[in-house]
Amino acid sequence: MKFRLHLYLILALSLSGCFVRLPTGDMTSGTSTIPPTLKSSDVTTPKEKTPLRVFCAGSLIRPFDELEKAFEALHPEVDVLMECHGSIQVIRHVTELHEKIDVVATADHALIPMLMYATTDAETGEPYAEWYIRFASNRLALAYTPQSRGADQIDEDNWYNIIPQPGVRLGIADPRFDASGYRALMALRLAEDAYTQPGIFNNVIQGRFKHPINIFEDDDFTEISVPGILEPKPDSGILTRGASIQLIALLQSGDLDYAFEYESVIRQHGLNWIKLPDAVNLGSEANNPQYNRVQVKMDFRRFASVEPVFKGEQIGYGITIPTNAPHPDLAAKFIAFLLGPEGRRLMEANFHPILKQPVCDQAPSVPPELGSFCPGELSP
Amino acid sequence: MFVALPLVSTMLATTPEEIRQTLGDPEVLQSLGLTFLAGALATGIAILMGLPLAYLLARYRFHGKGIIEGLMDLPIVIPHTAAGIALLMVFGSKGILGSALAPLGLYFVDTLAGIVVAMLFVSLPYLVNMSRESFALIDIELEHAASVDGASAWQAIWLVTLPIAWRGIAGGALMMWARGISEFGAVIILAYHPSIITVLLYERFVGYGLSAALPVTVVLLLFVLFIFGFLRYFLLPERT
Repeated sequence: MKFRLHLYLILALSLSGCFVRLPTGDMTSGTSTIPPTLKSSDVTTPKEKTPLRVFCAGSLIRPFDELEKAFEALHPEVDVLMECHGSIQVIRHVTELHEKIDVVATADHALIPMLMYATTDAETGEPYAEWYIRFASNRLALAYTPQSRGADQIDEDNWYNIIPQPGVRLGIADPRFDASGYRALMALRLAEDAYTQPGIFNNVIQGRFKHPINIFEDDDFTEISVPGILEPKPDSGILTRGASIQLIALLQSGDLDYAFEYESVIRQHGLNWIKLPDAVNLGSEANNPQYNRVQVKMDFRRFASVEPVFKGEQIGYGITIPTNAPHPDLAAKFIAFLLGPEGRRLMEANFHPILKQPVCDQAPSVPPELGSFCPGELSP
Repeated sequence: MFVALPLVSTMLATTPEEIRQTLGDPEVLQSLGLTFLAGALATGIAILMGLPLAYLLARYRFHGKGIIEGLMDLPIVIPHTAAGIALLMVFGSKGILGSALAPLGLYFVDTLAGIVVAMLFVSLPYLVNMSRESFALIDIELEHAASVDGASAWQAIWLVTLPIAWRGIAGGALMMWARGISEFGAVIILAYHPSIITVLLYERFVGYGLSAALPVTVVLLLFVLFIFGFLRYFLLPERT
């Protein structure tokens, strides 16, 4: 009886919802947490801090934490709210969840045109971003601990034989959500050429996921196709997580032996690591022609949205201010601070290679406060 | 209103077609099955091991009883991500239990066993506490009377106490199962894969966006409402 009463209640509520206008069709805008009036209240009540929402790639979490503190010390009226995820997730917070974010920093600059230029904000009718600045690089490496299986034998010339061994547990960021994930797949394929050892990719990856990651070889070009569902087989020895930084804890707890990570992150955590050759680590501009021969495609037909394709190239971190950012002026100040001497120092103190000369995409659209970082001007 | 409004508006935000598609999505169905199975396993283990403890706590006074009762409440107050990390320290491959059980082929990181352990840890108190209260309400004289009539101590519990305490125990088990299947924080640290439904839902939400997550949310709500309502209706009919 009671249960039936509940049903009536639900029915009645849903009917009454028609009159009080439930936020059904407009669910998406509900995620914004920043009241639009905050800026004006800022003037009248100086104690109220202006929130600056900064979303960054997981691999930037350490330097950006320090950047946050330094920036807040300089601007006491600002409260920097940092949130870090896998790079693709960072962007989806803007384009899919429609959150109002001030600064977006991703580990792959190519994601910004692919996912933000190409998507229009229904509220403003503009694309979610119109420019970005490539500001940092990194190198991919293989992290491990002294307790890792095979730690006493592994070196720069045999790592690809150790990680596929039975009983060795390897961590890779999920390539569907994190740039480090698809870069690890590229690195495994690039290693085949660098060491002239065909089969490295297949040894490490094939047969270990419930739905296979397929690799298509052409004469001078390789495409790796990642399925929409990516789950390691039980006992396959492979573990995936949504962002590469989540693998660090599993390395430390001894539940992973090796993990593909960025060099900066590895050194921040004081882990052991195998340095990968330039032809593999995706960190050298000179090796771009080699990197370009590999690409990773996401086979996401089941979700009918974009099917992202990631081209192999030197790792480039990109930063932008979404067009719907609530505080674009402050956001520009934050980016200028990052690209200035203090930000540069903090990045380097965290072993994160920052570009000597940032590269601007769509320079004419870059806010004037940041124009000084784009001296090359008007290059497309 | 506060409880019903988000649920109802979520239900109304999807189309029947989307729900139909989601019901045909093998990843969602497998994940739901896995979640309910893991919750049932955790509840089963808790009934085997937690019920005797609940009985002891209800019937006897002994040294350390207060400590055990306090411990039983801890999982309710510990934030679940912290619980997950604590479990990783014990059930991870270098942890006390993790390393001891590894030779038996029992691993907890990214396995069904890990999911069950996480669910068990966070939801065990519901079963133990509710069953203990239910046992405590039953007059011990009833067991004594049974003994006088020639029943052994086990028979007294099995034939007299358990049938009377049944409602409370079943309610506790149901709460525990429900709490277990809704667990996220502890599970995601110990066993991201295979994905239980809350993890899959989170993955769909952050990875593919709201439109991909909503139908799964609705299907999950429908399943849970149906099962919970069904069990409540048949297991725990209103006392007349």
